[in-house]
Amino acid sequence: MALRVLANRRIISSSYNSLRTCLCRSYSSIPPDEENVLKTSNPSEDEVKKGGFATAFEKYTQVEQEEEIPIAPPKTFISLLRHSKLMQLGDPKGKVIEGSIFHVVGDDLYIDFGGKFYCVCPRPLRNAEDYTRGARVRLRLQELEIATRFLGSSTDMTLLEADAAVIGLIRRASKTSEAKKI
Amino acid sequence: MAALSRRIFTHYYAWCWGGVRQRSLASCTSPALTSTPAVEEQLTQSPPATTTHTESSMDQILKESLKHPDYFQVAQLFTVEDLFRARVHLGHVEGTGDPHMNQFIFGSRLGHHIIDLDQTAAHLRHALNIIAHIAFREGIILFVGRLPQHQYLIECTAKECGEYSHCRYWQGGVLTNSTKQFGSITRLPDLIILLHSMYTTVQQHYAIRDAAKMLIPTVAIVDSNCNPKLVTYPIPGNDDSAIAIELYCRLFKNAVLKGKEKRKEVLGL
Repeated sequence: MALRVLANRRIISSSYNSLRTCLCRSYSSIPPDEENVLKTSNPSEDEVKKGGFATAFEKYTQVEQEEEIPIAPPKTFISLLRHSKLMQLGDPKGKVIEGSIFHVVGDDLYIDFGGKFYCVCPRPLRNAEDYTRGARVRLRLQELEIATRFLGSSTDMTLLEADAAVIGLIRRASKTSEAKKI
Repeated sequence: MAALSRRIFTHYYAWCWGGVRQRSLASCTSPALTSTPAVEEQLTQSPPATTTHTESSMDQILKESLKHPDYFQVAQLFTVEDLFRARVHLGHVEGTGDPHMNQFIFGSRLGHHIIDLDQTAAHLRHALNIIAHIAFREGIILFVGRLPQHQYLIECTAKECGEYSHCRYWQGGVLTNSTKQFGSITRLPDLIILLHSMYTTVQQHYAIRDAAKMLIPTVAIVDSNCNPKLVTYPIPGNDDSAIAIELYCRLFKNAVLKGKEKRKEVLGL
């Protein structure tokens, strides 16, 4: 047991030493080849090895050259569409999404959830006073557009609305902007 | 309606007698029946002292402006990403689609049409260029839309860029029977911009048909359930989301203002 520990220590120590020298070599500014040359040459020549303060002074007093931030190429429509929430949603029926109330008429809440159309839902009975303009609500989506073909017509009749039901409240409207509004 | 007629009439009056701003007959889109012989006499008169350019140099500038592909740099007003964020690519359900819109449709996602924004961007740039050119030449632009929830926004947009709007009930003879409708000779708009090309869910706006009859160019946002055939400069895009309509209003207003700014800068008028 003791022998094994000693052996391990030696291995560790030898590996640690080699690692330390490796690190020292990589972190020094002067490449390893020149190190030996400098030791033998005259220190008063042009290439004088600068101390820590000197290098730091140079670094922090130099005029900062603005790095050119590469401007990302404009996103293509196809890539935007592929990574859009609409594609992630899949079949809208039964999906739980978040929307915000943008208009209130009596007990009807007009909620925009980021689709083509908004949905109109009745105000829930629980926490009814919290459902004001600007509040964020959780919805269960049924349809993105209420449209159906009636007998005798050649095109669908659309209601220009989405179909969703309010499940609950996520965040009340902020007091500063929405306090006065219904 | 009365206010609109008064505005057009007074503008026409000022143009005829008071302002004396030179305007070539070629840019006049209203047909011969609505213009009087006295108008032509006015145009041949010498320009007043207030204008700094001679007639020929102004004509030269106007001609040169047409040669440039994007004289007002309207292409810089928006990007495809802006259109995407404004939900312009969202179309109606497949069952409501007009077959003439199929050329602009990218595809359909679970029964909902997706409008090709690359085509939309190209059409929009072209339309904005036309709008700016017409504003540059002091044309009358009429903003039209029938959806009540966006009516106020469209009227404000028209007011902010110094042009006209009509988002109310469309009386039959507004363009085709203007002399009888307004009780006097009227100058018709030089361009009609429709934010909604449908009057009701199933009926197209009468302005499109009437403008085509009166040779007035139209710029219209055509959704996947609209008929783009009679529109001069259709812009395939969503016309049901408020965020999309806000974007269009902003772009059209900026194009008009750019045209007017350029006129002041280049012609000094």
